[in-house]
Amino acid sequence: MRVNPNPLPDLLATLNLNQQQINTDLEEIASGQSVNEPSDNPAAAAMLVQNADQTSQVDQYLRSIGSVQGELQNADSTLSSVTTVLQRAISLGTEGANGTLNSADRQAIAAEVQGIQIQMVSLANLSYQGSFVFAGTATQTAPYVLDPTSASGVRYVGNSEVNNLTLGDHFSVQTNLPGSELFSSPGNDVFQALQDLITNLESGSTSGISTAVSEVSNAYNYINAQRVFYGNTINQLNSQQTYLQSDSTQLAQQQDTLGGADLASVIGNLENAQVSRQAALEAVANTLQTDLFNYLK
Amino acid sequence: MSSLNASLATALSGLMADQGALETTSNNVANANTPGYSREVPVLVTSDPLVVGPLTFGTGVTLQSIESIRDPILESQIQQETQTQGQSDAQVSALQQAQVSFSNNSNDIGTAISNFFASLNQLSASPSDLSVRQGVLTAANNLATSFNQVSDNLTQQRTNLGLSVVQTVGQINQLTQQIAQLNGEISNLENVGQSAGTFIDQRTQLIDQLSSLVDVSVIQSDNSLTLTTASGTALVAGQQSFQLQTQLSSSGQQDVFAQGNDITSTIVSGQLGGLLQARDQQIPAIQNQLDTLAAGIANAVNNVQTNGYDLNGNPTGATDANGNPQNPVYLFNPPPASGTGAAASLSVAITDPSLIAASSDGTPGSNGNAEAMYALSSQAIIAGQSPTDYYSGIVANVGNMTSNATAEQNASNLVLQQLNDQRASVSGVSLDEEAANMIQYQQAYAASAQVITAVNDMMYAVINMTTLTG
Repeated sequence: MRVNPNPLPDLLATLNLNQQQINTDLEEIASGQSVNEPSDNPAAAAMLVQNADQTSQVDQYLRSIGSVQGELQNADSTLSSVTTVLQRAISLGTEGANGTLNSADRQAIAAEVQGIQIQMVSLANLSYQGSFVFAGTATQTAPYVLDPTSASGVRYVGNSEVNNLTLGDHFSVQTNLPGSELFSSPGNDVFQALQDLITNLESGSTSGISTAVSEVSNAYNYINAQRVFYGNTINQLNSQQTYLQSDSTQLAQQQDTLGGADLASVIGNLENAQVSRQAALEAVANTLQTDLFNYLK
Repeated sequence: MSSLNASLATALSGLMADQGALETTSNNVANANTPGYSREVPVLVTSDPLVVGPLTFGTGVTLQSIESIRDPILESQIQQETQTQGQSDAQVSALQQAQVSFSNNSNDIGTAISNFFASLNQLSASPSDLSVRQGVLTAANNLATSFNQVSDNLTQQRTNLGLSVVQTVGQINQLTQQIAQLNGEISNLENVGQSAGTFIDQRTQLIDQLSSLVDVSVIQSDNSLTLTTASGTALVAGQQSFQLQTQLSSSGQQDVFAQGNDITSTIVSGQLGGLLQARDQQIPAIQNQLDTLAAGIANAVNNVQTNGYDLNGNPTGATDANGNPQNPVYLFNPPPASGTGAAASLSVAITDPSLIAASSDGTPGSNGNAEAMYALSSQAIIAGQSPTDYYSGIVANVGNMTSNATAEQNASNLVLQQLNDQRASVSGVSLDEEAANMIQYQQAYAASAQVITAVNDMMYAVINMTTLTG
């Protein structure tokens, strides 16, 4: 049988394939990635796109949590101040209900409660980074204005809307409580209670003062109950933060599994390719160009 | 009855035949490395015998012809595989260029989509913050730019492929002209009964080259050869070649014409076929998907955008605060209704960040509409898929196209290598064989020369004998 008398093209093709393998391995080692182009592994490339998107989402959720956390903590500590102030109002009211006080004493107490009322307005008008926290979604205007014509002495100009914020797949939180639910809730209206206390202190009705004190103390309990919302939300955000951080680690691991170069095996491949290239080169150099002509004398 | 002169003539025929045979060996050795050369063998036949009475005398040897050794079936297989190789070479280089735009880097469309939706989530967290709103506009602009760039790259690539089509057609025309010329030479030689082996080798070589450019069918008759494309467009008929032309078609691309007919879509193989497929099918398919994605995102975002209120509490939809009709405030300029060209033309419609409709109730602190816009990132708004899922599908698609073309290219290279091996085993020049032949012819030549010396001696004896008697 006649065989191909010129094996050189085959040997060159083998050398070419070897070189290609070496180039691929070197690229993987240099980039640390096994998927450098979509054609390297189309399915993995597509999954890497999704992985990158999820990673970006998780990073964004963490940033968003960071931006609402401050506001929520601020609101919570403001409510804590509110309760302190209300406690003071309650003790002032209790003192004012004491029958031994004269009218001038009660006027002095009323003036002090009046101060508390004004302090309450300022607390309820808490602004965080240019937004009024207790205004519902009407965050660009202070929600409470002093208004002597109003029964409670103040007017609420915010709205009763709330915002929900997505902070994870299938996880969203309410990020605010409007003043209408907190301070001006019918039956637990802080300003109404304080105003009643002031009115009764001024008129000197001890039974009225006692009723007003219990109104304030109801409002105090109500505000304390509402603080649970902020405490819960802050806790939820903290645990979501922990979850997202571990998710982020997992995504990074997944990305590495999908697209990272397995250096040990790449280097093994590279060595193999080099050895076979060496062998092919030696074969080319040693076996060619010997034929019958060399032996004719 | 025989004569010494007859013996001399017979020995002489041996000398001449061996000389001729050595000539072929020498030509084979000289052409050992000529691409496409088929080895030649001398065809030696016994000369017609001389019948004298009851005796039949041989009259020596004739070098009847010199034959090139080739396998036509193998050659046509090689031509076919060369077409496949030319096609996949063209596709691989086009697609590898195309997929660069889809490699994962900080500027790719996937990252731009993620960043855009991330900016909307940030907006949802701080709906009235102007710098956050500006961030949304910046991300939207980046998204539009990355769509524009990838789409421009692909369009540019199609234009470049069109230039390659023009060049390839030029090469095809040159080759068919040369083949037609060789056809003339070959039929001239064959008409007078001579071997045209060398010209046939050249022609085979040219047909191989032509096969790498376009799908060629070879129809061989007695001494003429007709070349057509696989779909039957004539390229060469005997000594006549038919030129292909390129011309800008209505689609703005260089199309291929033969005798006034547009044959672009009928060319499916060879480099030209590969170029045309990449230009007219594969890259447009990617562009279509990009257009669908760009139009899908723009329309979905605009739908939500025109359903809310800007930072100043003005409605962004088709009616203003008083219920009078107004121009809706879009975030992206609405893409063409057909979707075609959406990726290339995607652009942001507003420059004032306060016009982004984050609010669902008109108050600046409301984030209801921003939430709805962000929710689009996980909704099936594009052909039943979320934007990122759809984009990852495009990446997989581009990757698959490229890796399939590469696999085809590798397979075709291997097959071609084997076929070339086989052709070489039939037609290649083996120096061992030529050396052996050379020794053989040399010895036969020496033997014939010895016979002549012997005849010469005998002649001499006869002549001297005459002198003695005389």
